[in-house]
Amino acid sequence: MVNPVLLIVIPLGLAFVVPFFGFISKKIEKFIPFVALFFNLIVSLRLFPRVLEQPVHVSIGGFVPPFGINLVAGPIGILFTVLIALVGFLVSIYAFDYIKEKDQEKYHILYLLLLTGATGVVLTGDIFNLFVFFEILCISSYSLVAYFGDKTSIESAVKYLIQGALGSCLILMGIGLLYGQFGTLNMADLAGNIKSVHSVSIFVPLVLFITGFGVEAAIFPLNAWLPDAHSSAPSSISAVLSGIAIEVGLYAMIRVVFTLFGASSILTFLMLLGVITLLIGELCAFCQENIKRMLAYSSIGQIGLMLFALSIASSYGITGGLFQLVSHTLGKSLLFLAAGYMIYRSGSMNISSFEGMGKRMPYTALAFTIGAFSIVGLPPFIGFPGKLMIVKAALFEQEMLYTVLIFFILLATVIEGAYYFRVVQALYFKEEKNTQNQKREIAPLSILIPIFILTGFIVVIGIYPKLITDVLVSSASELLNRADYIKSVMP
Amino acid sequence: MVMNTILEIIIIILLAAIIGLFFLGLSRKIMARIHWRYGPPIAQPVIDIIKLFNQTSMSHGKLFNFGIIFSLSGSVVVLLFLPLGEMCPLSSSGGLLVILYCMLIAPLGLALSGGEAANPITSIGISRKFLLAFGYELPLLLILLTVMTHFNTISIVDIVNMQLQTGWSFQHLPLLLSGIAYILILPAILDLRPFELIQAPQEISSGPMIEYGGKFLALATIQHAFNVFISLSLFTNLFLGGAENPGYFFLKMLIVFIILLFVNAVTPRFRIEQAIKFLWRWPALLAFAGLIIVSVTG
Amino acid sequence: MNLIILLAIAFGGALITYFLGKISQKIRDIFAVFISLALAVIAACFYNVSSREIYYTGFLDFPFVLRVNTFSWFFAVTIAVIGLFSIIFSLNYIRKRGNTDFYYSMMLLVIASMIGIVLSGDLVSFYIFWEIMSWSTFLLISYNRGPAISAGMKYIIMSVTGSVVMLVGIVSLYLHYDTLVYTELSGLLNNASSGYILFIIILFFIAFGVKNAIWPLHVWLPPAHSEAPSPFSSVLSGILIKIGTYGIILLIFVIIQINVFLNLGEGILSVRYIISIIGVITILIPTFIALLQDDAKRLLAWSTIAQAGYIILGIAYGTSESVAGGMFHFFNHAIFKSLLFMVVGAVEYRTNGVRDLNSLGGLIKKMPVTFIGGLIGICGLIGVPLTNGFVSKWLIYKTLILNNSPFLAFAALLGTWGTILYSYKLIHNMFLGQLPEKYEKIKKAPFSMQLPIVILSLAIIFFGIIPGLPLHVINSIESGFGMEPLTINIWGIASDTGTINMLNIFTAVLVIGIMVWLIFKVSKKSTVIGQYDNYAAGTTVPKDKYNYSVNFYDPLCRMISPYLKDFIDDFYMSLARSIKNTGNGIRRIYTGDVGHYVIYIILFLALLIFIQINWELW
Repeated sequence: MVNPVLLIVIPLGLAFVVPFFGFISKKIEKFIPFVALFFNLIVSLRLFPRVLEQPVHVSIGGFVPPFGINLVAGPIGILFTVLIALVGFLVSIYAFDYIKEKDQEKYHILYLLLLTGATGVVLTGDIFNLFVFFEILCISSYSLVAYFGDKTSIESAVKYLIQGALGSCLILMGIGLLYGQFGTLNMADLAGNIKSVHSVSIFVPLVLFITGFGVEAAIFPLNAWLPDAHSSAPSSISAVLSGIAIEVGLYAMIRVVFTLFGASSILTFLMLLGVITLLIGELCAFCQENIKRMLAYSSIGQIGLMLFALSIASSYGITGGLFQLVSHTLGKSLLFLAAGYMIYRSGSMNISSFEGMGKRMPYTALAFTIGAFSIVGLPPFIGFPGKLMIVKAALFEQEMLYTVLIFFILLATVIEGAYYFRVVQALYFKEEKNTQNQKREIAPLSILIPIFILTGFIVVIGIYPKLITDVLVSSASELLNRADYIKSVMP
Repeated sequence: MVMNTILEIIIIILLAAIIGLFFLGLSRKIMARIHWRYGPPIAQPVIDIIKLFNQTSMSHGKLFNFGIIFSLSGSVVVLLFLPLGEMCPLSSSGGLLVILYCMLIAPLGLALSGGEAANPITSIGISRKFLLAFGYELPLLLILLTVMTHFNTISIVDIVNMQLQTGWSFQHLPLLLSGIAYILILPAILDLRPFELIQAPQEISSGPMIEYGGKFLALATIQHAFNVFISLSLFTNLFLGGAENPGYFFLKMLIVFIILLFVNAVTPRFRIEQAIKFLWRWPALLAFAGLIIVSVTG
Repeated sequence: MNLIILLAIAFGGALITYFLGKISQKIRDIFAVFISLALAVIAACFYNVSSREIYYTGFLDFPFVLRVNTFSWFFAVTIAVIGLFSIIFSLNYIRKRGNTDFYYSMMLLVIASMIGIVLSGDLVSFYIFWEIMSWSTFLLISYNRGPAISAGMKYIIMSVTGSVVMLVGIVSLYLHYDTLVYTELSGLLNNASSGYILFIIILFFIAFGVKNAIWPLHVWLPPAHSEAPSPFSSVLSGILIKIGTYGIILLIFVIIQINVFLNLGEGILSVRYIISIIGVITILIPTFIALLQDDAKRLLAWSTIAQAGYIILGIAYGTSESVAGGMFHFFNHAIFKSLLFMVVGAVEYRTNGVRDLNSLGGLIKKMPVTFIGGLIGICGLIGVPLTNGFVSKWLIYKTLILNNSPFLAFAALLGTWGTILYSYKLIHNMFLGQLPEKYEKIKKAPFSMQLPIVILSLAIIFFGIIPGLPLHVINSIESGFGMEPLTINIWGIASDTGTINMLNIFTAVLVIGIMVWLIFKVSKKSTVIGQYDNYAAGTTVPKDKYNYSVNFYDPLCRMISPYLKDFIDDFYMSLARSIKNTGNGIRRIYTGDVGHYVIYIILFLALLIFIQINWELW
């Protein structure tokens, strides 16, 4: 019997012992996240089959819910855990060679804390506990954004901090209001008691949650921190922020809306919000010359797409949305990692500095290309099934609104294609102006391995999506069947 | 059966050559009389051809030779699709559309042959030939489509036969318009003034044929004779009801040709733009009107 | 033989080629030719085979089906054969360029995905192969760098737009009928409302129209065709855009079925008529634009659009003759257009990249075989009798005339006469006229270029004299679609309403040609003289200064060029610019001032609460 608690405890514990290892040798510090996340990956994969049969519940300290804090490892939780562990694990390999300057110790501690927070958010069944983990995630990401310590990164970290703190405040207020009314913090218990969101006293906490989590999830118009933060963080952190942090924000939001409040009436609004976020993100990305800002805006767009799909609130919609989430996590992390190393080599984030990279760094450039094709939704990569499922979900509703919205979404995909293809052309088909750097400089193995593994996943799942669709379908039913969730937590 | 067909083919080719050359000779005679000159004898083209075959000639290469052969044989093949009286040896192998397309071969051959000559003037002549052809094909296509739609067939033999029953095409209103349009473009097809742009002896020294001498010129003259025959024969078949016997048929052609010669004698020459503008305006409008009427009354 | 093996060879070959190139260029070249030859041979082996197999079920719940019948066989063989010739042609053409491994493997990937498209038996695998084809084509178009980059961009944007629209159509079909396998889908739309069928037709037509370059979706084609490497231009023009044709045939005859299609709408407003008119516009405008071009490949590119118009016209008109004409024209166009691109490519190769028609000339003396290829190619393009293009166009015209659509016939015929002008200009300006001195030392095209040129030229003549062979195949395709087959024989068509017999015409031309040749032969021999030994009214023809092939049709061009602005292209470009401007405007939302950002958050919250309190929306 593997306990899901280990998924949180081990990385958390290891995070704090990093300095002690630092006393022994500075060299082992960087392997700590690697070990911790490898462990997490193994444990979550071991849990996987069991969870699919029946959600695993753990009550901390032996207090049964609603009295104690509990962990709920349902399909959706375990899906996120695996994703977090996987991406975290790969990025920790990437960091071996990538993070060389400044204070490595703090980087590794904060990195582990960030992922612990993320894991905690997706596993917990208690709303306040969720908030705590969420804060761990946010605060460590604020500091990681400032890792380089130069003016821009500090500025964007502070901006991020201000907006993130405001969001957290709102969440806390929401929790306070709920606690005042129901006297409990357990999500299942709360969910059982909330009948409708029509009364203002319920609606206000809902809106507070949406806004608060929306900041981290980068929903328009709450996402202004994201382009700055993602572009000035180290690329490994950008990968995690873009691939995990905002998805976890989205998870929290969806969990609250679906499970806690069962607020189906607000979904249409969220759906429109998703489409607006998508369009704005893609349009802004279209005009960017800075590669990391472009990727960051593209993440905004993708989040909008996921929000749209999840808000359809049918089995198809949620499955599609979650599939898109997985594909975005893999694809965008890959893009950030690949772009990060090319930036490292070229010394500039401008797209024009990537010209000729196809010759200089063939593997990295190839991986970037595959990632870009996948994000645009071209087969045989993972983005395509996601796009297909979302279109299917939207058309399944057979309503005019959905059909119109899907055309907007597809228009956004075309715009997305336009700027990604531009980068691909710069990689391969534009000659570098500076001819001295024409020699091949293949990236070190620690960079290539995560990139290759991510590429592998993108291709394999793209060809064989069944690999993950089962867990997605049960995740969808977990989100949709609110009553089952309540019953399973509090029998 | 086969012997019959072969006999027909030989007769048609001979007749066409004779009539075509006769027309060429006649045209010189008539023009001379209008100019108050005496003019050469009617058989002058034949005499010229015989003379030319005995002269030495210059060739610019294989395509130069091939082009002229290709051109002449293309013209002859067209003859075999055109009914002459009751004779039409290849009637079962294709209709009006095939004729239309086979008529391409002759100018294409001359153009290729002239092209290899590498004389700038041939290039000018060829360019004019194609432009002028583009100019008159537009109304011509409309005219042919009007006729085909009116009779609802693409076989020229059927068209002739139906005219025997219902009277000449000229008697029906939409086809009358097309017929007039055809007469307007005939000078362009036959390279007569006011459309005598391609050879234009005073300007570009007979254009595509500038490099021809000896047997080349002879073959080119024969080809021209066939071309005259083909154009007039097509008109006669489509609009003047064809004929049961070659004599009557010949008479119809002669009248049309003489009218054209009169126009030729008294008009100056268009520039190429003017020619295209004219052709795309009046004949095209008439033909278009005819086609509209036909397709509406259908 | 198994269909999966065919696909595996195709895709595996593309991959292996790349890695073989790292070992040895020579082995890679041989391997690439071998793979494409194998594809052609294996594809040909499926003649008259009709089979269907589910090859993969792991993709969401869609079974992936491969099927072969005469229809897909016909396309597959054409693709494989033209692909083979382009690969052979590439051997010399691409040798001295960089990134040849990439070139060959992408080339094979494009061919493989096209074969995948025509062999797939359900719409999802169709779509997947379609997209693979789109992006691999994009990479290949961009291969030449320089202007090719924007050409590639234009292509992929339009292509992606088309395919996402098609995706909506596919998914919609799935949700309505719960299957995407052709065999199960066909006939199901019989009962659908005509509005729904129209919706599906429009969605699919945008995708297929982009690929097939139907006006007004054609704007990607001229730059893409002219900037791509020439052997790939042959693939693009010869077969790739015809995949759009394949899609249209699939849509109309397999998914919707012809009787339903013909009954959509009434008279002049019926769907078949509207598409036919679009086809006619696609013939006319590009034909005239082609006349104005001075770049050999761009001229051929516009010509490709125009010829695709004939195919669309034939297919959309929907009588069994016109459909046969359309399909036959697809086949013919694949042959002669890829031939012509190869001819231009050979000239480009020998003159170090000159494609400007105004600076070439006289090359017939240096590259005779290439010239003959070009001559036969333009004859096919024009449709001179005894070349394959004649029969297909004849079929289309005939049915248009006899079914009382003379205006469509007129436009189509006029297009042909425009074709004569520009295609003669092509051949004249490259090969005839004066040979400039700078090209005195040019050698003839290498064998690997001459071989495909010769074979394709022979094919044009062969299928022109024996049109019965392809028409026989087309006939059985048509009976598969439930249409009345044509009455054909091996030499042509023998129906009551109009016959052609190519054998008789051929014999007549041959016999008469020989007779004229004999006359020519027995009369006095002529002496051969050089290109400067010309009549010039007593003076000599100046060297290199006097090349009339410049602005060959100037009088006409001056007349028509004001009317022929490509305003569609301008429209798309301004659309792209306005999207960019919108993006730049929207970016201003993110002012950089964190105070504003906080206000956004607060406002968002306040707005939600305000709305709820006032209107109780949620």
